[in-house]
Amino acid sequence: MVYLAEFHWGWLAGSLLLGFAMGWIAVVHRGRGVTKRVMQVLSIFVAALVVAAVTHVVPGRFGYWLDLGLAMFGAYLVGCAIGSWLRDMVVSRQAASGEPPGRS
Amino acid sequence: MRGLFRWSSKWWPGVIPLVILWALAAWTTTGPLEADLSAHADAALKGSVLDKTTISAAGRDITFSAEAFSEQERSSALASVEAVPGVRLVNDHTALVAEARPFVWTIERDVGKVTLSGNAPLPVVRNKLLDAARAIFSGIDIADHMNLSRGAPPRFETAAALLIGEIGKLKTGKATMSDMTVTLSGMARELGGREAIAAALKNLPEGYSVTNDIHAPPYIFEANKDPVAATLTLTGYVPDNAVHAAIVASAGRKFGEKVVDKLKASLGAPAGFDAVVTRALGSLSRLSTGRLVVSDRDVELSGDALYDAAARQLRADLPKDLPRGWQAKLEVSVKPAAAPVDPAVCQQLFADLLGKRTIQFETGQATLDPDSIGLLDRLTETALRCPTATIEIVGYTDSDGDPSFNQTLSERRAQAVVDYLVKAGMPADRFKPVGYGSAQPIASNDTDEGKAKNRRIDFIVRQ
Repeated sequence: MVYLAEFHWGWLAGSLLLGFAMGWIAVVHRGRGVTKRVMQVLSIFVAALVVAAVTHVVPGRFGYWLDLGLAMFGAYLVGCAIGSWLRDMVVSRQAASGEPPGRS
Repeated sequence: MRGLFRWSSKWWPGVIPLVILWALAAWTTTGPLEADLSAHADAALKGSVLDKTTISAAGRDITFSAEAFSEQERSSALASVEAVPGVRLVNDHTALVAEARPFVWTIERDVGKVTLSGNAPLPVVRNKLLDAARAIFSGIDIADHMNLSRGAPPRFETAAALLIGEIGKLKTGKATMSDMTVTLSGMARELGGREAIAAALKNLPEGYSVTNDIHAPPYIFEANKDPVAATLTLTGYVPDNAVHAAIVASAGRKFGEKVVDKLKASLGAPAGFDAVVTRALGSLSRLSTGRLVVSDRDVELSGDALYDAAARQLRADLPKDLPRGWQAKLEVSVKPAAAPVDPAVCQQLFADLLGKRTIQFETGQATLDPDSIGLLDRLTETALRCPTATIEIVGYTDSDGDPSFNQTLSERRAQAVVDYLVKAGMPADRFKPVGYGSAQPIASNDTDEGKAKNRRIDFIVRQ
């Protein structure tokens, strides 16, 4: 993992930033999110992929690409979480000071 | 936390550019990653002794194939590759190097090429043997057909290096080591090469056995008797300085002529060489003109005997006297008989012969010394030239010892000479043996030189 992080730090940083941007937008986005049911299915799918990666059942380059994809997805999720959390903090502060939400 | 869950339902649009990013990352990093992991795996195997090593990467998985020289080496190499950072899986295609039974190694020298083949235990040993061969056969093409195998005998490298050195002494040849049995064949470059190699192979490590089938150029000794120049020329080889001196001294006693010594000392003489050469020189001394060639264990004697009976005796005696394994080839003819002379000339001829040399006997006995046989043949030839003369054979001794013993000894010695002459085919009544003991000395008996002169046989021709 350390080797992957060192070798692909640029791509992981890009995924983190992408996630940060998406998380920032998601707090004030008014569209509909995915349903709980879809979330569960996606979570199970991702968990299955993680299990496949950990158990090394996918051989060769496909195995590497799976590891890379999961690492980038993980960085994306972290970025999303940080982005949403920070944006929520900004929105909450603005709401407390009387400014209309959705603008910063 | 609930907020995070709510917001996460709206994170999915970012997955689309993330997938694009992932595809780009996979596209651009796969090659460099595989190259990086292969290089690190190669570096991790630097200290391992392996054969036929190949490393290939597919993603983060390494396919590692190699042949190791021990199970410990194999598992250690595998662990080194598995420990390379970033490697996910190692596909283990390693095995142990095949074991050779028997473990055979060969070096073969042709005229312009040296070939090393068979089995070598380790790459480093193989390289050392090649280096040793290059050092010894500089300028000659070295072909390496060695395979790496397990199962080498103890101290293989020492034994093989020694054999490379010894094959360097051959014109052409081959050395094969099968486990601890060494077989050498071929032709040595120099006389004595076989013996030199046999001596060197005694330094093989303990437990090794050797079959030496090396041949060397023939070991030649040659003696040419030239009656015109009155010389005996010795050429060729003798085993050492002691034998050299003994042969030259023996030739001096047998021939009484000038010995031209061109002998050289060299190893490689067949067993019994000095005894055979001494015996064959005795036969040569009976020829008027002749040549003796001793080549390995073949003795060739050619020339002219002084009379018929001498030729017959030579043909019969020399082959019989040679040790087992020696061959004699005689081409002895008889010198045309010299013209008869009157008794006075005959007497002069006897005096000339006995003036230069004396007939020798065993000390205190009446047995003719083999060194005097050439002189006796010349005396016989002279006696044959005056067939009508009666000859008195007179024996004398020095003054040492009892006078009656000396008297008897001188008579017996004179009789021994008569017997020799009769054996040559002349009638016994032509010869009268007489002994005077120590009477009638011709020199002082006070010195060894004088005594030697007094111990003599004289031929006196009676009408």
